[in-house]
Formats: sequence, structure tokens, C-alpha cells
Amino acid sequence: MNHLLNITKKELRELLTPSSVASVLVVVVLFAALGSMMSGQTESAMAPQKLLVVNNDSDDWAVSQIESVYGATYPDADLSEYITVVDGPLAGQDLVDRMVEVGAGSAIVIGEGFYSNVTSHRTGEMYATYIYSSGGLFGNLSSAIAGSIISSLNLALMTDQGWTEPAIDTGASATYINGDFASGVTPTEIDSAVSSQNMMVPLIIMIVIVMIGSIVISSMGNEKENKTLETLLTMPVKRTTIVTGKLLAAGITGLVFGAAYMVGMMMYTNGIMSGTVSGVNLADIGLTIDAFDWVLILIQMFLAILAALGICMIMGAFAKNYKSAQTLTLPISVLAMIPMFVIMFMGWNGLPLVLQAVLFIIPFTHPMMVMTNLMFGDMTLVYAGIAYLAVFTVAVILATVRLYKSDILITGISQNPYVVRMKAAFSGKKNAE
Amino acid sequence: MTDALTVADVRKVYGDREAVRGISFSVREGEIFGLIGPNGAGKSTTLRMISTLLRISSGTITVCGYDVATESDSVRSVISYLPEDAGAYKDLTGRQYLRFMAGFFADGEELEAMVDRAIGFADLGDRIDSKVDTYSKGMMRRLLIARAMMPSPKLAILDEVTSGLDVVNAYEIREIIRDIARHGVTVLLSSHNMSEVELLCERVAMIDGGRIVQMGTPEELKRRFDAPNLEEVFIRAVREAEGLV
Ligand SMILES: Nc1ncnc2c1ncn2[C@@H]1O[C@H](COP(=O)(O)OP(=O)(O)O)[C@@H](O)[C@H]1O
Ligand SMILES: [Mg+2]
Repeated sequence: MNHLLNITKKELRELLTPSSVASVLVVVVLFAALGSMMSGQTESAMAPQKLLVVNNDSDDWAVSQIESVYGATYPDADLSEYITVVDGPLAGQDLVDRMVEVGAGSAIVIGEGFYSNVTSHRTGEMYATYIYSSGGLFGNLSSAIAGSIISSLNLALMTDQGWTEPAIDTGASATYINGDFASGVTPTEIDSAVSSQNMMVPLIIMIVIVMIGSIVISSMGNEKENKTLETLLTMPVKRTTIVTGKLLAAGITGLVFGAAYMVGMMMYTNGIMSGTVSGVNLADIGLTIDAFDWVLILIQMFLAILAALGICMIMGAFAKNYKSAQTLTLPISVLAMIPMFVIMFMGWNGLPLVLQAVLFIIPFTHPMMVMTNLMFGDMTLVYAGIAYLAVFTVAVILATVRLYKSDILITGISQNPYVVRMKAAFSGKKNAE
Repeated sequence: MTDALTVADVRKVYGDREAVRGISFSVREGEIFGLIGPNGAGKSTTLRMISTLLRISSGTITVCGYDVATESDSVRSVISYLPEDAGAYKDLTGRQYLRFMAGFFADGEELEAMVDRAIGFADLGDRIDSKVDTYSKGMMRRLLIARAMMPSPKLAILDEVTSGLDVVNAYEIREIIRDIARHGVTVLLSSHNMSEVELLCERVAMIDGGRIVQMGTPEELKRRFDAPNLEEVFIRAVREAEGLV
């Protein structure tokens, strides 16, 4: 038993190093923060939302029906604050302008003669107009209110009058997206179509970065362990050539993996859904990726992969051997997972500015959201991303080359004057107490 | 230029620890020179500075007339360094490893000739086409020394090249080193095995605690201390050096 304890203690000391514990803590804190942010997001989606009601009917009956359904949905809400009623006619761009003005994501338009129609066994016209806002899985939940009010009104009328056919004609419902109206589509449907395509991109990029990151770091660990790096560094070649060669090989590997996943993903979306997910054909509503867009996507992916590789080669320089290299892959994985989760679940738009700034700084964010941004024409973000990635990547590669020219690669970090000074300061304090 | 290597008052500081404390020696062309001393004496550190891997804290090193600090590219083109406990790329066969390394020095027919010569040196038979991670320690060392000799360097720097080998393998490696030197390659090697160095080296420098305590031919040193072997010389030299401090 004593021997068991002895062995277990020794193994634990090796496995639970300060760095491994710290990295796990980082992940825990990260998930906790993400969780609270996401619950905030869903909460705000469930909170009462502003609604614009356009009344083209001479009677106010429909308006009061809408108000009572709204009031039943949100018993605590002050209706005068959330519902704005205007008299029609109001349609098209004017309607959208008015919605923006009152801050409503959705509007209900009551057709002419609605009351007299539904009370005399004719269908009445009432439809919803939505403004689409791109933003992750929960971005458009709030606008669903208009649709659900209309359908519960319809249900009530049908039961009331004993109809089997719908009492309300909602045929003119539409979503305003990218400056156009997509008829018969709700934002939630667009979201699910967009996200089933675009959720894959962050995931693939995360996987590729983690994979090539660990390949590079382990290969560095191996080179250290076998002293092949020392041998290589005494060959009559420029250090820049060695760094470039390693980066290029890993970069190509990354692109091959990435491309393979991409093809798989396209076959998945095209094959199973033939481009139509949840009844919405994205191309029909102007959400397309053309050849030039693909070039931009590839540029972003390649730059992000190079940046990841540079970071990994710097991390790998501190690996003593194959084993210690493994723990070093964690920081890069975390760095790739943060933007993945945020982009997947919340999207970029509507994030607090601080979070947007943090995400912007993480290079892997950009290729994760580039597809969505291209679809919705957020070109500023796309080009700013490319510019930032380019600067970041060049800086990281220069740092890598510098590192390869210094002797930290051979001596390890503990000999770095800065680290030595920190250690000295640390032990100095201990001695003083 | 008769000195293949000169080391002048060289120091190396790791953080706050001085590993090499002002070492000076020179190695003549075609000579086999040995750095001997116990573990931690500073042998590897010295060899790594000569091989351009470590920055020199102070002092100068010149290899075939090139300054190690300022002309490291030229230095790298005339040296061959074999690290202590080195290995090769696990996924490659011995032949593939030699071909990869030869690629830094030649191409085409010249490369093939270089690889063939190295395969002869390594003398691994048909195991040259096995993956290197199946090699024994002795086989690996022969492959690596063949790699080091392959480009016909002016100066070969071999760190603990026979340590951990059985007597037969160690003997064969020493034979290879003598053969190399006969072909005009200058050899600088380190070892903590004094009797081996006595057999192999024309001149030796004994280092301890980052300083050279004695230098000369094995015969000179034995005469100077009236000792039967270099081990005794080393013990007495260290005592003498400590007595002086
Ligand atoms: N990377 C390093 N960081 C800190 N100290 C080192 C490092 N490498 C070697 N040393 C120290 O320098 C001294 C000389 O080491 P080394 O040159 O490897 O000796 P030798 O090769 O003679 O056994 C030793 O005290 C060793 O602990
Ligand atoms: Mg050593």
C-alpha cells in the first residue's frame, strides 16, 4: 500500500504540474463565463420585445386582440411601452424605416376590412414583417413574437367559428434582409439555414488549428528529444530557411486537412439538403458565396493557419521533449475554442464591444465568421480581418525567426535573463519573509 | 593558417550560473584533440559554442579563420557537429536520413556519391534500409558519425561520441575517428572517459568547473605529474588547482 501511495504521489506530481492545472482552470473559467453570457443572451431573447402594429382596418378589434395575446404572453409588460400602433397604409421600405424608428424587430400588418371579413366567414388578411439581424443561434428568437401572435389569433378564430380552414391569410409575411424582402420566410428559418451551413466553418477551423498545432509542437518536442534540432541548426542553411520549410509543410498539411473537411461539409449540405435547409434556399434570398468570396475565405484561412503555426513553433521552442510538448498544445486549443463557441452561439453582431475587441484580436475568429460576413455583405469586417491577420502573421513569423536565431531553443526558457530576474525577485521575496 | 580552431578566454553564463569560466586552447589542423573532465565540467557547453548553437558570453572563437559570433554561416559550412545522445528522425530509414542530411551539402550525382560513402562508413549492412527507431545504440551512433563525416568537414566536433557504447562498438567508433583524422579532418571530441581519450587523442585539455586545469599530450601530462594514467593526472591536477585557489 505504501508503495502504491509512493508511486501515485510521484505520478501525480508529474501530471498535475502548475502549468497543466493553470490551463485547466483557464478552460473552466472560460466555460463558466461563456455559459453566463449565453444564458444572458437567451434571457434577453425571452424578454418582451417591441412590436409595431399597422392597422389598415377601420375597426380596432384586431389591435385589441393582438394586445391581449401579447399581454397574455408577457403578463408583466407595460403594453404602451412595447406596442406601437399606427394607422395604415404603411408598407415596404417605409414600414421598415418605421420599425427601425420605434426599435421593433417585427411588425404585424392588419389588412383592410379584417374585422368584417373574419366575422362574416371570410378570411382576413394579417401578416408579419421581420427585420433580420444576423447573430448566432439565439439572435432572432425575439422577433418570433409577431408570428406567434398571428398564429394564436388564427387558432382562436378557427375554434370560435368552427372553421377547418385558416381564418387568417398570412401570405404577405416577409423578412427584410440585406435590403430586400424575402417573402414567406421568418428570420428564425433563415438563421437555422445559415447556421447549419456556417456552424461547420468555426468547427472545422478549430479542428484544423488544434490538429496542426499539435503536429507542429510535437514535432518540435521530438526534434528536441532526439537532438535532431541541434544538428539541423548547425547545417549550412539560413535559419529563415529552416523556419520557412517547417511552416510551409505544416501550412500545406493544414490546408489539405481544411480543404478535405470543407469538401465534406459541402457534400453534407448539398447532398442531404440540396442547398435548401429548413425550406429556405439561401441563394433565393441573396445569401450566396461567389468565387471571389471563396478566394477571400481561403486567404483568411491560410493566414490564420500560418499564424497558428507561428504561435506553435514559438510554443514548441519551449518544449523539452515529446511529453512536455503535449501540454503546450492547450493554449492554442483554448485560443481556437473561444471564438468558435462565441461565433457559433452568439454571432458577432450584438456582442458587447469589449467581447468584439477580444475576438478581433484572436486571429482565428476571422476565418470563423468570414462566411457569414460575406453572405451579409459585411465587407469592412472581412477586409479588416485580412489586414489584421496579415499583420499578425508577419509579426509572429518574424518572432519565430528571431527565436530560431537566439539560443533559447538550445538552452530552454529558464536561462532567459527576464525569467531569471523574475525567479530571483520571487525567491528574494521568499527569503525576506 | 595552422590552427583549425582557437578558443580565447571564452565564458558562458546560463542565467546566473557561469558554466564556462574563461577557457583558452587551440587545435591544430589534422589533430585529434580531447576535452576531458567530469560531468558538468562545461564540455558540452564549450562544444555548442564552437558549433554556433550557443551565444558566447565573452571571449572569441575562431574556426578555420572564421569568427563564430560574426561569421556563423561560414563556420557552419566547415564544421560537423555531433551532439551528445543524439538521435535521428524516427520515421526515416538510415539511408533516407543520410540522403536528407546530404541534401544540405550537395545534389545530383555528388549527393549520391556522398550518401554511398557515408553508408560505407556506417557499415550497417542491409539494416541501412530499416527505420532508425529499430536501431541499437551502437548502430545509431555509427549512422550519426557517418552522417557527421559525410560532407568531409574541416573540423568535426564530437560530444561524448562513445559514451554508453559497449567495448566493441566504442573500439570501432575510435577506429572510424582515427581514419577520419588520417584523411585530414581535424577532430575535437569530449569525453569523461580518460583512458579512452588517452588512446585516441594527440593532445588533451582537462577541464573542471568550467576551467582548464591542464593541457598537453597524454605523455607530457603523465610525465608532469608522474602518474601512470590520465585519471591519476586529472585527480592530482584538480587537487593542485584547488590548492592554488
Ligand atoms: N541549458 C542549461 N541551463 C542551465 N545550466 C546549464 C544548461 N546546460 C548546462 N548547464 C550547466 O552548465 C554546466 C556545464 O554543463 P555541460 O556543458 O553540459 O557539462 P558537461 O558536458 O561537461 O557534462 C553544468 O553545471 C550544467 O548544469
Ligand atoms: Mg556533456
